[in-house]
Amino acid sequence: MISRKVMLLGEIGVGKSSLARRLVFDKFEFDYKPTIGVDVYRYAVPDSPTRPQMTLIVWDTDGNFGEAIFRHVYMKEAAAALIIGDLSRPPTLDSMARLGAGFSEMFPGRHIGYVVNKTDLVTDPEAMPLPAELTRPGNFLIRTSAKTGAHVADAFNDAASSIARRGL
Amino acid sequence: MSLMPSMTPQVQSHGAGFSGMTIEAGSKDTPKLPKRMSPALAEAALLVASYGSYGLIWLDSDLAVTRRFGPLVDFAKIGAPITDSVLALIGLEDEMRALSSKPGRILELPAVGVATPEGDSKRLNFSILWQKGLKSLLILVYRVASQTGLEIELSRQIRARLMAESETTAKSKELARANADLESFAGIISHDLKGPMRHMRRLAQQLAADPSTEHDTGLRQRLSEIEIQSQRMSHMLSALLDYSSLGRKYEALEEVDSQTLIASIIQSLPKTGIVVQLDGIWPRLTTLATLLDLILRNLIDNALKHHDRLNGMITVSCADQPHYLIITVSDDGPGIDPKHHGSVFLPFRTLAESSVHHGAGMGLAMVKKTVDAAGGSITLSSDPAQSRGTVFMVSWPKCILT
Repeated sequence: MISRKVMLLGEIGVGKSSLARRLVFDKFEFDYKPTIGVDVYRYAVPDSPTRPQMTLIVWDTDGNFGEAIFRHVYMKEAAAALIIGDLSRPPTLDSMARLGAGFSEMFPGRHIGYVVNKTDLVTDPEAMPLPAELTRPGNFLIRTSAKTGAHVADAFNDAASSIARRGL
Repeated sequence: MSLMPSMTPQVQSHGAGFSGMTIEAGSKDTPKLPKRMSPALAEAALLVASYGSYGLIWLDSDLAVTRRFGPLVDFAKIGAPITDSVLALIGLEDEMRALSSKPGRILELPAVGVATPEGDSKRLNFSILWQKGLKSLLILVYRVASQTGLEIELSRQIRARLMAESETTAKSKELARANADLESFAGIISHDLKGPMRHMRRLAQQLAADPSTEHDTGLRQRLSEIEIQSQRMSHMLSALLDYSSLGRKYEALEEVDSQTLIASIIQSLPKTGIVVQLDGIWPRLTTLATLLDLILRNLIDNALKHHDRLNGMITVSCADQPHYLIITVSDDGPGIDPKHHGSVFLPFRTLAESSVHHGAGMGLAMVKKTVDAAGGSITLSSDPAQSRGTVFMVSWPKCILT
């Protein structure tokens, strides 16, 4: 089975660890524990006719890294990045656009998934305005809630499919 | 991170090849090592001991764990690939192998969470290097010193601050948008209503000019009233248009002699029995001259319009304070009942009887809006029960940020 590395990037407090823990352990912890450094998780992507069997090695990074993460050895061999933002905090959505641009410049051709998290905190998630850079045609954009679990696995499964399609 | 020795750590051995060994780094006496320990391993143990809090893992060329040493590294399984127990090393295999050809180079992985059999997560720093003496790859493991309650608390506080800032920014944007919508709405309404109003007035004028209405005095009177009221409505719409556009106008700062400015305003006033007198020190300053002109003109005009006697006195004075000009416009008119003090600055509020001659009641509203926008303030003092007269006092900032 092949393993591929997926980075979780985004500002502090957007829910990177919550997404990873929801994905791997199907749990949500209400007590906020900031990630210091990096946590790494293994996620066996469910079988699908459209992609080979795959394990994602999910790197949950410290939000304090900011764009400095791109120069860190942690990024080596990353096949994809899921860039996370908090739908209830618009500035984190602007940061997503910057991180996305930085990642595609440093790692051209790799998968970028834009994950707009915390949909449970707003009344109409689809109606919330997003920066134009995130909604461009062809972008992988998904709205999730680590709290309810909505679309969390989809974000990672889409990344796995994209990695397989691109031969990364 | 650099491999800096700490203060005299004491090392208890665990794992293969070190049973029963105790080394105190930095002690004057040479540690007594078991005879069966190879010199190379002893050297490594001494090295590790000298670096303080530690764990040590040896890897073979397949990056499988061959030995481990220290209480922090029990997560590493002997014989298993190191990447099985330290997921953060997946993808870095080539980098690790390359270290053998670059002695002295250290691959650092700070603050990596490592899952333990108990289910909790140790957070460790890894320093990976090629140990020349041992001819194998070594991983030095340190507990993360920074993972303290203080750091976690700081991260929590940073997050709380970011969230509060985010909320404030969002609310400010919402408020700015609402204000812009309101101004735009007022502008559109006042502009678009003026056309039908003019048309209505023209129709009333045409009817009044019609010879068939010549002898109908009652009709003529009502037509005249329609004309007066529609003209008043036009004035109100014009005033509303001006008021709504006040915030949008870009006014440049310019140097102005306030003495000349106020003198020219007084010069332009209609000649009546009300005397306008100038007082105080009017300095030169760099300010929003057009807006200062608007304020002074409206305050004086307001005092003149609402004076109830043929003869009277209006005094306009200025005090040059360090940060503000304190401008007062006082009159000896009828005064304003304190119960109306809160409403006189609202749009379309006039205490005089409705009349075209008294204007739309927007003058003081425009003054207030302008003063507020410039960062100043305006107050009103008057109590007709005590004495006649009204004093408006404006604090106009001398330093204005545009």
